[in-house]
Amino acid sequence: MLSAIEIRGLKVEFRAGRKVVPALRGLDLKVAEGEVFGFIGPNGAGKTTTMHVLLGFIEAASGSAEVFGEDVRRSIARRRIGYMPENPQMYRFLTGRELLAMAGRLFGLGGSALAAKVESLVNMVGIEAAADRRIEGYSRGMMQRIALAQALVNDPDLVILDEPTGGFDPIGRIEIRRIIAGLRAAGKTVFFSSHELSEVEKVCDRVGIIARGILVASGCISQLAAPGETLEQYFVRVLA
Amino acid sequence: MRNTLVIAQAVWIETLRRKDLYVLAALLAALLLVFVSLDIFGVRSMVSYIKEIGLLMTWVFAWILVIGVSVRQLPQEEKSGTIFPLLAKPVTRAELITGKWIGALGVAVASTLVLYILLAGIVAARGGMCNVALMLEAWALHACFMAVVAAMGLLFSTRMNSDAAATLTGILSFASFALLPRVPELAGGAGSLQKTALMFVYYALPHLELFDLRQRLAHDWEAMPLEPFLMIGAYGILVSTALLALGWLAYRRKMFNRDQM
Repeated sequence: MLSAIEIRGLKVEFRAGRKVVPALRGLDLKVAEGEVFGFIGPNGAGKTTTMHVLLGFIEAASGSAEVFGEDVRRSIARRRIGYMPENPQMYRFLTGRELLAMAGRLFGLGGSALAAKVESLVNMVGIEAAADRRIEGYSRGMMQRIALAQALVNDPDLVILDEPTGGFDPIGRIEIRRIIAGLRAAGKTVFFSSHELSEVEKVCDRVGIIARGILVASGCISQLAAPGETLEQYFVRVLA
Repeated sequence: MRNTLVIAQAVWIETLRRKDLYVLAALLAALLLVFVSLDIFGVRSMVSYIKEIGLLMTWVFAWILVIGVSVRQLPQEEKSGTIFPLLAKPVTRAELITGKWIGALGVAVASTLVLYILLAGIVAARGGMCNVALMLEAWALHACFMAVVAAMGLLFSTRMNSDAAATLTGILSFASFALLPRVPELAGGAGSLQKTALMFVYYALPHLELFDLRQRLAHDWEAMPLEPFLMIGAYGILVSTALLALGWLAYRRKMFNRDQM
């Protein structure tokens, strides 16, 4: 099976004044097409940095990262990616519907196909009543919903979600799980990070645990954890 | 090109939905009306006086507007975090910068056009006339001036916050407009090293005074011959392109990390 994501020996460093702070120290990671992959780790482990490299926000000091065989430094690699950031911020002066239309146009959509796509996404994330209101009046949960909708506007083959359930209430979390299950059923690859390990356990085919910039464990939860052990218990054991 | 226009359109929508543009325009209109109704030394009826005051205010308005809109684009995207979903799309950094530039320029050029039409209306109401061809030339070169200032603002904002970029763009564009033409005079009385330095500055900075046809318009001179007009226009496009290219060079490898913003 082809890899949706292939990362080899990835090193990323940030500069803080004269000091060089390593964020990734030679990360190796493979995510197969069509799987739901949970990327977990403690704060500052390098989860968001890894996602930012995949999206071209950050350049690696060394190593390589590819999405569906394309070097992530090329903008064409992002054609097949949908991304929802952690604590997402969208253009507050646009309405929800305008934002989705704008996002669609950036992927080359237009006309009736775009209008239909916007309508289906508005329904999918449940913001029908607020779709024609400016985003500046949205609650945190609604911001998460519109952010998720814009991530799916191009019908992406790879969906990258950074803490997708962060602003959601329990009902919203169930809806997110339903959407991720729908993406899996449609053969899409989902790569997401979360601190909610019970959520990860419920939706992921495989998980990867990152700590201090390297992958410390990767595989199916059933293979990684001991019998009767939850992902949370395994996570604590591995990091200890 | 599509992505560039989508980004530019977002700038237009944002500017139209912000209140500061309308406050600035209302303030300008009020000032314009006060100035044209004043009767200083009995010059109230002089159409050239009205034109001079009106054009000066149009230039000041355009200068403030184009700097204000251009310098806030990139820092605002980064500070608010909207840069992340935007750059996660197949948008290149060059498209982002060009889109922001077209957006800022479009706002300023359209607003200025309204002011030129308003001024022509006031002049006509006072029984004066405006040479339409010259007015179009003046507006087109004014647009070139704004193109250069917008590109300068974007260039500085790639590596500075919006306040610092606005200050630097304001100082540099004012110096290029008002002080640079005087440099050869200053260089005449300077020593050889100073002269070389002054002349380097003279040739290195953009000559924004070339885009100013206010005197020609105020005193009803003839329209500018086509050849110099086109050459000045081409100069404006060239300088804007060079500044945008520098902006792209400064921005293309800029790293965006949420934790560091």
